[in-house]
Amino acid sequence: MTPITLTPSARGATSPGAPIQVDLESLSVIEAPVALLLQAAAGGDRSAWDALVDRYHRLVWSVVRGFRLDEAAAADVTQTVWLRLVEHCDRIREPEKLPGWLAATARNEAMRVIKGQQRQTPSTFDFDLADEMTPALDERLIDDETRRAVLWAFHQLPTDAQDLLRLLCTHPPLDYQTISDLVGRPVGSIGPTRQRILEKLRALVTTHLGEGQEGKE
Amino acid sequence: MKDVTRDQLEVLLAEALEEVDPVPDFVVAAAKDAFIWRTIDAELAELVFDSSDGLVGVRSQETARQVTFRAPGVEIEMMMLAEGGRRLVGQLVPPQQATVELRHGTALQETTTDAVGRFSFTDVPTGPVSLTIVTPDGGRVTTEWLSL
Repeated sequence: MTPITLTPSARGATSPGAPIQVDLESLSVIEAPVALLLQAAAGGDRSAWDALVDRYHRLVWSVVRGFRLDEAAAADVTQTVWLRLVEHCDRIREPEKLPGWLAATARNEAMRVIKGQQRQTPSTFDFDLADEMTPALDERLIDDETRRAVLWAFHQLPTDAQDLLRLLCTHPPLDYQTISDLVGRPVGSIGPTRQRILEKLRALVTTHLGEGQEGKE
Repeated sequence: MKDVTRDQLEVLLAEALEEVDPVPDFVVAAAKDAFIWRTIDAELAELVFDSSDGLVGVRSQETARQVTFRAPGVEIEMMMLAEGGRRLVGQLVPPQQATVELRHGTALQETTTDAVGRFSFTDVPTGPVSLTIVTPDGGRVTTEWLSL
């Protein structure tokens, strides 16, 4: 295996026969190939690990939050996912599929925690309850009128449509195969369903903004 | 609104969702701290039983989640009890003498097994945990991280 050095001091230090040196600062962690980051992190490079977290933490959080766990449980599941990756840095066979691996691990852990909660709480417990209250809070926090309308419209959609849409707009994006695995729908149906849901969302937003205009006049 | 493309709509939604539910700073910081638990010399024990699996719809308030990990030569059984703070109890099968390290957050607790391979940890903080078994000959077996 080619040694890889990932330190700021490696900048410009290339001489024939020297080990390949990758300088994360000049390459920019945004562009560094995920395979290199994983390899460097497995070798103990902390900056490579930080770069992986910076790149994918929003993705992991989105997937976990899609299961409507509260913040504490979501934080635990998210941390479990990252700890798993620490253990598996050198075992990820297809680095380009890391987003899918992270999403699948997040889903599996979230499901286990949900089952655990069901076991420990009275059977009348409804873990969708908190979610019913979120739209009002959400709308207060967003000041941009259009985005507020989009968020309002999002919450009018059926739950399964919300779940799918949430997975479709992660950053960085998940591929359709990964999303298909996560939601248990045929991969060929994801694209058409996405278009249908977005069309519905647009109609809702348009109506909502229209009503808002009338209210002001 | 009609001239907004679906892609733009998706971007708007992504922004809106991120704004109302940003990743909390402590979650990002913890993710970065996770790196301190990188292990290079331990064998990873595989999760072979989880009482959470296949229990959809079964609800009992008394049963704690039980898990079993397997590595060559040893099985690690454990469960988290909620009585008087979180207590992690477990057993090595077959029974054997070993040091058991419990990793959680950024801290580590250590104990040794009794004559029949049992061990326990009290006052375990919430959050994911992982156990490392250190045998007298220095062999190390680590379990995957779990939110118990």
